[in-house]
Amino acid sequence: MTLPARGAKPRLLMSAPVLELQGLTKSYAKLTALSDVNLSIRQGEIFALLGPNGAGKTTLIGSICGMVKKTSGRILLFGKDLDEDPVGPRYDMGLVPQEINFDPFFTVAESLHIQMGYFGRPRDEARVDEVLTALNLLSKKDSPTRALSGGMKRRLLIAKALVHRPKLVFLDEPTAGVDVELRRDLWTYVRKLAAEGTTIVLTTHYLEEAEELADRVGVINEGRLLLVEDKASVMRRFGERRLVVTFEQPQAELPEPSRRFNATLSEDRKTLTYVEREGTPPSGELLRALYAQGLPIADVETRRSRLEDVLIEILRGRPQKAA
Amino acid sequence: MNTLGMKTLFAKEVRRFMRVPGQTVLSPLISTTLYFIVFGYSISTRVHEVEGVPYLPFIVPGLIFLGIANNAFLNSSSSLFITKIQGTVVDLLVAPLGPGELMAGFIGGAMVRGLVVGGLTWAVAAIFTGFSLQHAVVAAYFLLIASYVFSVLGMLAAMWAEKFEQINFFPTFVMMPLTFLGGVFYSVRELPSPWDQISLFNPMVYMVEGLRYGMLGRSIFPPALGGGILLGLAAVATVVAYLALRSGYKMKA
Repeated sequence: MTLPARGAKPRLLMSAPVLELQGLTKSYAKLTALSDVNLSIRQGEIFALLGPNGAGKTTLIGSICGMVKKTSGRILLFGKDLDEDPVGPRYDMGLVPQEINFDPFFTVAESLHIQMGYFGRPRDEARVDEVLTALNLLSKKDSPTRALSGGMKRRLLIAKALVHRPKLVFLDEPTAGVDVELRRDLWTYVRKLAAEGTTIVLTTHYLEEAEELADRVGVINEGRLLLVEDKASVMRRFGERRLVVTFEQPQAELPEPSRRFNATLSEDRKTLTYVEREGTPPSGELLRALYAQGLPIADVETRRSRLEDVLIEILRGRPQKAA
Repeated sequence: MNTLGMKTLFAKEVRRFMRVPGQTVLSPLISTTLYFIVFGYSISTRVHEVEGVPYLPFIVPGLIFLGIANNAFLNSSSSLFITKIQGTVVDLLVAPLGPGELMAGFIGGAMVRGLVVGGLTWAVAAIFTGFSLQHAVVAAYFLLIASYVFSVLGMLAAMWAEKFEQINFFPTFVMMPLTFLGGVFYSVRELPSPWDQISLFNPMVYMVEGLRYGMLGRSIFPPALGGGILLGLAAVATVVAYLALRSGYKMKA
């Protein structure tokens, strides 16, 4: 039994990248927040950027979205260099910022109408209602934004980022402070957007979120992009599957089939453990061999690595490559 | 140019101050009217004429200018500063709004507030002194350029300020002294030396005198002089504001 492979998604179009970063660097007086970052985002994909606090995720998104002045490098948004045209490409992008912000003078609906206007879209009541409905805010349409709860304010941020139908959306920790049910609803909405062709770049601390949503993941730490790879490939290369077989009685010695697998026997000689990694025989093969020998197996447990385990390995500096 | 974006920002700025009319329109109107009543009536019994004009009508242009300058400055400075503080500046930076659109939106909104307060002040003053408009084009020019200059200066102050103390510095320590020393309640020619000469470096003197010429037909300076100085000030302020916005000065990290 091998780790499941993930085939290419039909919706990932083989067209020019929607976003390209070339040698992107941001330096402050005492700190380099981004160092020579090269990245290409494909149309229609969901790209998750992972990294610890202070790694440079928000600075990277800020550089693209206009909140941070880069020190050097190029940013090409929909094929256009932002140094030559800092405004034009922005019509088709949206951002859900990390920090909650709201204008207390306006209602929820007014905030969305204003946002649409900023992005050059004519007034569209139906679109505003559609987005509010998708984000469970329709009942708060005419409420002042200051009256919303924290979770509602975060949903409003998402609504503002999507109301003008952008082709590329950045989500900077979009589900922070959101309850589990809403997080699942938002994931469903993000998948729907991606299926419709919207490209999504998200940063998140919820590794389950990246695991659930991302086609590709990038890992950034101390301003350097350490890795960019298909999520499934990352899981295969760095991930492992652990097979734990419990016998009914202690075994006198390591069962013969397991010796060539480099499996280990516990001290009480009742538990056999095999760690499957890339390049090692699949754990299913060992299991079949043990059953074929008629060994008295009481229990079998397999545990697959989580993305969290993989991230820790990458940040610890296990050999990796950037794509 | 993102015309719709610019119009959206302008409309938002106007609606913002109209949401709190008591604070943004009524309050300055009351304080300007009080200046008129207190200064005008208490001093007009002792000072019957200034520069050949009865005292009450003499101070009306200055009070209108006071309303325009303070409120145009306050609107753009408070709106942009609070946008920075509360984080909604992100909406403006991410959107396809260039420096021109941002300036048109904030300055336009501030000019509307300044002119509304100035217009209402004029209406109230007219109840006491009657309506006077000798040179309409000149008056319109000085009304508009005063509201424009102070709107731009308000934007510059908001871009520079990082704390509330800094944004409050300008109205208290710059605007108020300059406006009160700008010939609103007196003629600068009646100041003792060297203050009469020093006053010539205060651009507000030219705005007040220019408006006085437009409304009353009398001024101690040729209106073209004041008009030219103010046009130069407006041009410099505009270029500085445009370049500051384009570079992201204190708005981008």
